[in-house]
Order: sequence, then C-alpha cells, then structure tokens
Amino acid sequence: MSSLWPFFVIGLFSGSVYALASMGIVLTYRTSGVFNFAYGAVAMFCAFTYWQFRDGWHLPEWISLLLVLLVVAPVVGFVSDRLYRPLVGVSTEVQIVVSLGILAFFEAGVPLAFGGRTRAIQSIFPISTFGVGSILRVSWAQLATFLLTAILALGLYVLLRHTRFGMASRAVIDNRDLAGLLGVNATAVGRTSWVISSVFAGLVGILLSPSQGLQVYVLVTVVIYAFAPAVLGRLVSLPLAYAGGMGLGVLQSVLQRWGASGTVADIEAAFPYLALFVLLVVYGKRLTEVRSGVKPVIGASVMSPLLMSRQKLLTSGGLVALGLFALPVLLRGPDLGDVTAGLIYAAIALTLVVLVGWAGQISLAQFSFVGIGAFMAGHFAGAHGSNFLWAALLAAAIAVPVGLLVGLPSLRLSGLYLALATMAFALLMDNLVFPRTDVSGGYTGMSVPRPRIFGISFASTTSFYELCVVLLVLFGVAALAVQRSAVGRRLKMMRDSPLAASTFGVNLTTTKLVVFALAGAAAAFAGAFDGAWHLTVSPSNYTFAQSLELLLLVVLGGRSLVAGALLAGFTYTTQLLPIPTEIEKFIPITIALGVVSVAAVPEGSVALTVKQFWAALDNFRRLPGSPMPAALALDARGANGAQLERGANGAQLQRGANGAQLQHGAQQHQGANSAGSDGRDGAAVYPAAALSGRGGESPLGGVAGGVAGSVAGDGSPVEELVATTRGGGGGGDA
Amino acid sequence: MPEGLLQAEDVTVRFGGVVALDSVDLEVPSGQIVGLIGPNGAGKTTLFNVLSGVIEPNGGRVLLGGTDVTRWPTHRRGRAGIARTFQRLELFDRLTVYDNLLAAWEGVTPGAVLGRHKSEGRARVAEVIESLDLGALATRLAGTLPTGQARLVELARAIVTAPRVLLLDEPSSGLDDVETSWFAQVLGQVAGARDGEPAVLLVEHDMSLVMEVCAEITVLDFGQRIAHGPPEQIRNDPRVIEAYLGAEIEPEGSAIEPEGAIAP
Ligand SMILES: Nc1ncnc2c1ncn2[C@@H]1O[C@H](COP(=O)(O)OP(=O)(O)O)[C@@H](O)[C@H]1O
Ligand SMILES: [Mg+2]
Repeated sequence: MSSLWPFFVIGLFSGSVYALASMGIVLTYRTSGVFNFAYGAVAMFCAFTYWQFRDGWHLPEWISLLLVLLVVAPVVGFVSDRLYRPLVGVSTEVQIVVSLGILAFFEAGVPLAFGGRTRAIQSIFPISTFGVGSILRVSWAQLATFLLTAILALGLYVLLRHTRFGMASRAVIDNRDLAGLLGVNATAVGRTSWVISSVFAGLVGILLSPSQGLQVYVLVTVVIYAFAPAVLGRLVSLPLAYAGGMGLGVLQSVLQRWGASGTVADIEAAFPYLALFVLLVVYGKRLTEVRSGVKPVIGASVMSPLLMSRQKLLTSGGLVALGLFALPVLLRGPDLGDVTAGLIYAAIALTLVVLVGWAGQISLAQFSFVGIGAFMAGHFAGAHGSNFLWAALLAAAIAVPVGLLVGLPSLRLSGLYLALATMAFALLMDNLVFPRTDVSGGYTGMSVPRPRIFGISFASTTSFYELCVVLLVLFGVAALAVQRSAVGRRLKMMRDSPLAASTFGVNLTTTKLVVFALAGAAAAFAGAFDGAWHLTVSPSNYTFAQSLELLLLVVLGGRSLVAGALLAGFTYTTQLLPIPTEIEKFIPITIALGVVSVAAVPEGSVALTVKQFWAALDNFRRLPGSPMPAALALDARGANGAQLERGANGAQLQRGANGAQLQHGAQQHQGANSAGSDGRDGAAVYPAAALSGRGGESPLGGVAGGVAGSVAGDGSPVEELVATTRGGGGGGDA
Repeated sequence: MPEGLLQAEDVTVRFGGVVALDSVDLEVPSGQIVGLIGPNGAGKTTLFNVLSGVIEPNGGRVLLGGTDVTRWPTHRRGRAGIARTFQRLELFDRLTVYDNLLAAWEGVTPGAVLGRHKSEGRARVAEVIESLDLGALATRLAGTLPTGQARLVELARAIVTAPRVLLLDEPSSGLDDVETSWFAQVLGQVAGARDGEPAVLLVEHDMSLVMEVCAEITVLDFGQRIAHGPPEQIRNDPRVIEAYLGAEIEPEGSAIEPEGAIAP
C-alpha cells in the first residue's frame, strides 16, 4: 500500500480542476436548467485570450490574469445568461441543441480569432517542485491549484449557505415559478450564477492548458471529464460535484499505478466516460431534470401539417434522383467524389432524422455505428470488395446488439441524461474499442475496398457515385415509407408525449430499443460505404466529434424531415468542395450560428426555404394585375390563420412581446432574399439566411439573429428580422 | 352492489413522506359515469395514475373486469380498454388532430402498427371526428390548439380507441362556460349506459357539471376516501362540506368553489 499514496496525492491535484469545472457546470444547471455542454469551450476560449494578453500582446501576467477572470470570463457569463435565459421552459431537446451549437461556435470561432496553431502556455504558479516524503515531488503549481480550488469551493459554499443570493438561488431551484411569486429575482440569480460559473471556467482553462497544451479540441474534451462528477451530484449538489471531481482525479491517478500503457492506460483515459455512463444508468429514473412548471411550448415554427400528396412526392423525389444520376455529366473527378461523400452523409443523416427527429431520442453516438460499418467492411469485404455487400449486412447485424446497448439507458433516461449517456458511449468507443488493432488496425487504420456487387465493380469514381445514389434513394424511400406509416406515427407519439403514448398502447421499451437498434444498423450499413469512400479508415474518422457534427448538421437541415437529411449531406459536401478559403473558413461558424438559431424549429432550414418560397409567392401576388391561383391563395390563408390564433392564445411566451409579429414582414423577405443573391454558394448562404430569416421566431431570435445579421453582412437591424409572421404555408413535409 | 368494471382496492401510494393515497377503494360500474372529487392535492390524479398504470401503488390492487391488472404495464392496460385524458394536456403536439386519433387507435389495435386494418382505423377516426364535430380541426397540428379545443381532442383521442373505461382528469379546467357546457353535452353523447359506450370516471372541479352527469360520486381528501354515494347524498354530507371549507354547498346544488374552479 505504501506505494499507492503518492498516486493518491497527485490525483488530488488533477481532481481539483475537475472539481472546479464540475461545480461550474452544476452551478448554472441548478439555476437555469440548462446543461452547459460548451463549458470546456468557454474554458478553452478564456485560455486563448489569456495567451493573447500575456504572450501575444506582452501584458504583465497579473494584468492578463485579471483581465481574463474579471472582464472576459464575466462577459462570456453575462452573454451566456442572455442567450440561455429564453430557454427556460423550452423543451430539453432545444436546450441541448443550443448548448451544443454554442460549443461548436467556440470551436469554430477560436481558430478564426486566434489562428489554429497549438501553442504553449505557461503556468501562473511556479512549477518548481519540493519533496514530500522520500518518493514524491510536488510542484508549487499543483499545491496552489489544490488550495485555490478548495478556497473557491468553500467560498461558494458560504455564498450559497449564508447569503441572500444563496437563499434566492435555493428558492429558484426548489420551485422557479413559486420563487418568482415570492419576489425572488430569478433573473438576477441566473445572471450571477452564469458569471461565477464562467469565471470558474476561465480558471479551469488557465490551470489546465499548461499541462494539456493550448489546443482547440483538447481542453473541450478534457473538461468533459468533469461531467461525471457533476452527474454524481445529480447536477444539483455542489459538495458532491466537488467530492466527485476529487475522487475522479484520485481514481484516475491510482489507476496509473498499474500501468502507464496498454489496457490499463486505455481504461484510465476512458475512466471518466465509463464513470459517467455507469452513473447515469445506475441513477436512472432518480435523475430528474430541473424544469420550470411551465409546459414547453411547441417549437416556434409550425410547418403546415399537410403532407405532400403521394404524387407530388414521387414527382419531386424522382426529379431529385434523376438529377443526381445525371450529375456525372457535369461533374467529374474529385468533385464528384466529394458529392459522393455528401450522398453517404445524407444517408447517415437520415438514420438520425428517424432517431432524433421522429422518435425524439437524442443520440451523440451515431458515428460510432458508422465506424462499425467501415471497419467491418475493412475486415470482411475481401481484397476486391467482392464480399462487400455481405460485410455491410454483417455490420448492420452487429450494430443491432450495440444499438440495443445504447438504447438500454434510454429505457431509464430521457432528454439531457440520454444525450449524456450516448455521448459517454461514443467516447468509450473512441477510447476503448476503436483504437484496438484487431478492431480498426489501430491508429494507422485499415484499407477498405470499393464494392463489387453481383460481379459488377464499383471501383471507379463515377460508378461508386452511382452506387451511392442508389444507396441514398433506397434510404430515402424507406424513410418516407416509415414517415407515413403507423410505425412513423408510433415514433412521433413517443416523441411528443411518452406518457400518452404508453397510455394508448405503445410499449415504450420495445419501441425505443427497436429504433436504436435499427437506426444503428442502418448507420452501420451506410458506414461500410463511407469506409469504401475513404479507402483507408482509422479511428479518427469515427469519433464523438463526428457524431456531434452530424447532429448539428441534421438540426440545421431540419431534424424532422427527410429533406433535412439531404440538406445536411449538402452542407457537409460544401465543406469538402474546393472553394476559396476566405469563404470556407467561415462555414463552420456559420453552421454553428445557424444551429443555434434554428434549434427550436424541428423543420430547420427546410422550413425557411418553404417559407421564403411562400413569401416570394406572396410578394408576387401583391403585384397589381398578377394572377392569383385560387388554390394557393387558400393555402396561404390557412397558414396565416393558424399563426394568428396561436399568437392569440398566448402559448408563445417570447413571441407575445414582439408586437411586430403580426404585421407582414416584407422587409424581412427582402433581407433574406438579398442574403441569398449575394452568396456565391448556396450552402454557405443557407445558415446565414436561416439566421436572418428566423430571428424573431426562435427563442434566441434577438441575440442570435443579431449576431447572424452581422455575420451574414446584410446589416438589417434586429427589429426587422423579428417581423416574421408566415407559417410554413402548404408546403411539403419531405 | 354490482361488481365494478374498474376497481381500486385498498390502494396506497406514498411519495417520500407524503401519503398521496391511503387505502382508497373505488368502483366504476359498467354503464355509469362516476365522479371523483376533492380539493387540490387530494390524490385524484395519483389515483388515475395508479389505475392507468403510470405509477405502481405501494399497496392494494387494481381490477379490470375482475382481472388483477396491478402489475400490468401502462400500455397493456391501454390495449385492455382503459383510456384517459390528462390534467396537463398530453396531446401529440406535432401530429395533426387526425393523426392524434389515428395513432391512438393504432396504438391499442393489435397488428395496426404493421399496417393491418388500415381502412378500419380510418373509418373509426372519421366516425369520431364527425360525432365530436372536429372536422374543421382535423388537419391542424394539435400543439397549436387553444385549451378548449385541445381538451376536446383529448376526449376524442380516448374515445376513438373504443375503451371500456374512460378516465377524465379535469376535462373542463381552462374552459369557459360555453365550452364547458358543450363539453358536458359531448360527454353525455359519447359515454353512458348504451351498448358499447365506456364507463367513465370523471375528476372535475366544476360541481354543477359533476352533479349533473354523475350517478355516483367518490370524495377524496388528503388521500382518503371520505364519502361515496349519489349526488344528493354527497351534497349534504357534513364531511364533504368540511373538506371544502369556506365553500358553499347549496342543497339545490349549483356550485362548490375549490381553488381554481370557474364560477358559473
Ligand atoms: N410524482 C410525485 N412526486 C411527489 N409527490 C407527488 C407526485 N405526484 C403527486 N404528488 C403529491 O401527491 C399529492 C396528491 O397529488 P395529486 O394526485 O396530483 O392531487 P390532485 O390531482 O387531487 O390535485 C399531492 O400532495 C402531491 O404533491
Ligand atoms: Mg390532479
């Protein structure tokens, strides 16, 4: 035992930082009900600004530190508060998506602002060491970190126990609605919490970067370690979060005692995710979400419920397919290859539409299934891909039990906790399964052949492209069939009200497991094609980060629509196509902002497109003497009627405030249209247009729309953007 | 006494220290509309949750047509003929009204999820939509409806499954007078003693509605059953009057006003 204690002591130091981060996450969750997935990103941003002050602009260290902790971090906290506050009472799904979108915003924005290169950052505390006993040397930095965290934890404890702020914050946690009645200013409590939390994040960034290196992704991932201790305290207990953070650090360190490499080391790296997963499953139903009593309002935009007629659908679907088949006439070589990647991506995105958009089960692990498909194809497709189809089917079969495994937590968890569980699962796959040489060929990866099916080789770019069109068409037809069937309705019952669904005979257990298993199987099947596209695949192609990006692109496209998945594939392609860097480098941040602003709209950018179409039609009809097709006019009126009534019954909390709502937003249409015509590339413009167009309708409209307006460069003031009144019109659902 | 179609026997539910239901008995005979009343927090919704299987009781049994269904999961009870509405509306917000009904019908009909009995389902939905006069709302998204219409759609969604027992949790809360009387009318039309019509258990704050439509009334207070009998008897029961402290109960029976009720 005597050789264990040094590991124990070292663990206390790394644990301190986890504890700090956990407390920061818990602090805001308690008061706002929003889980801050972007916490690590805020830490990362603060670390970069610190570097900029100290090393970039050569300000004295203490001034840099004060600037970050007393100015930058609080401002970020303040802005976060403004951004998240309208989300209180909105569905958990929207909160999660917004938070993930903000994570993506930082990940995209920091390289833009600071440049992408990795840099070294110096510790704010002396790193010289002193001996403890005979074998352990501790640095002053470690000791200082430990003490600083302990003091901050204690300070927070005193603040929450013995001050008015503490009382107010407990009142808000117990019952937000009641607290309001008792005269507690929930807004002020929320703001203070966000500011404190953000300052903690700043410290975390500055304390962690010297050892982790200042890189965009590293800090973000490392701070995910802190999620487990936060969940240990069920996201509300600060003492447990602190203790959990310490415990995690110690356990992780003690594991090192048994091996710095090999399986133990893998487990050590994956331990926080394992802990998160296990905690979530064990706590299960005892985890309740901090929610306002107000029932979540239905998403801000409501498309016309009318499905396209079967005939219209077949026509437009057929046209899309024909267009895709004809594309090789125009496009060749690498560009066609990039479009192929987009097709496969769209097929994968479809599986997420079913899972998230229809069944309401948020998954951050979909690319783990894609990876299973790719690696299985690598193993079993044969040298010339002659067994490719079998390998893909085998992958799908193997994905079924894995899907059941991911689905298992969904039986006891929903919303936020399910999202966290799938995230933990994806990270476990990343750390424990995919790196294994026998699974993936290790970090050098493995090669995957292009398919040969029924004796036909699809090795050439064009033939592989055509095969992938077939794949996407098959997936699309299947998805449309499901959407319109009793199965589709069953999934949506579960999404809209699990309680009512089970009351009306839906076995939630079976339904969830089946949808996770089938969505996983389909993703794995498509994954085989993804592998074949890459030709060589390695674990880095199928990480949590890819799963996250997929979710964001699907949300942006429109998570409840088949067309949304196509749009996701399209957006993905634009990132591959050779376009000028000045445009290209702004795509990720535009996507992130787009996600934030359409988060509340299940139909995503598709809704916007349809809306713009009707708006254009509307303008056209206003021209004197232009013919007005009677059927269309009727349709449009119907949509307007629905909008007005909804406004009148006051369900839209935020919307009520905007009087501008009900007047026709002619300027808005022009704004959106001009954004469209300025843009060189459809996809790059999409999110920007989405942002400006949707300003008033998403709960975040004001802020995000404003930001978007400036990004899109169309300069229209927010007030104009708010004036969106149109419903989706009688447009399509697919 | 006729054996109840749906019965709760000795049901006890505890939430931590709170005893939400304390050895409660209740019978809903076939062909009857039974009222369940009591002040806020009396345990009415909790009893509904026990009957429909949403929560498992700490003690006691639930019988449906003489069969012990206490351990049955919610969905199985739904298929066996227990349908309900919810105090806090639980419509499928992003489905149309039509699809809300169709989905419920498919949910309780064996094989329907696999695409069988399609025309039967559509016919049944059309029938209910017509009888409740919901035609104008059929293509609206349920989440966009104002409360009055939403409550009506919840009723229709329960009816469409042709249940044996219908549990209605405060169906008139949030409705104005006109809507309430329309609701009472619809209720009389779809439920009662005629063949194929469901028995009803009605939780309601609007006393005049309860007194008007219910054959029998059970009164809960602090999780205990404090009275049971026909409306006239309940109206004059001193314990009931005491439970509704501060409220007037006139023998002619117009109104009791517990919190949140709508004065007629
Ligand atoms: N899920 C729950 N957890 C804890 N307490 C609950 C829960 N549901 C109900 N209660 C409590 O049980 C009691 C009865 O509530 P309820 O059945 O909703 O009353 P009613 O419907 O008669 O107004 C109340 O004290 C309520 O606070
Ligand atoms: Mg109740």
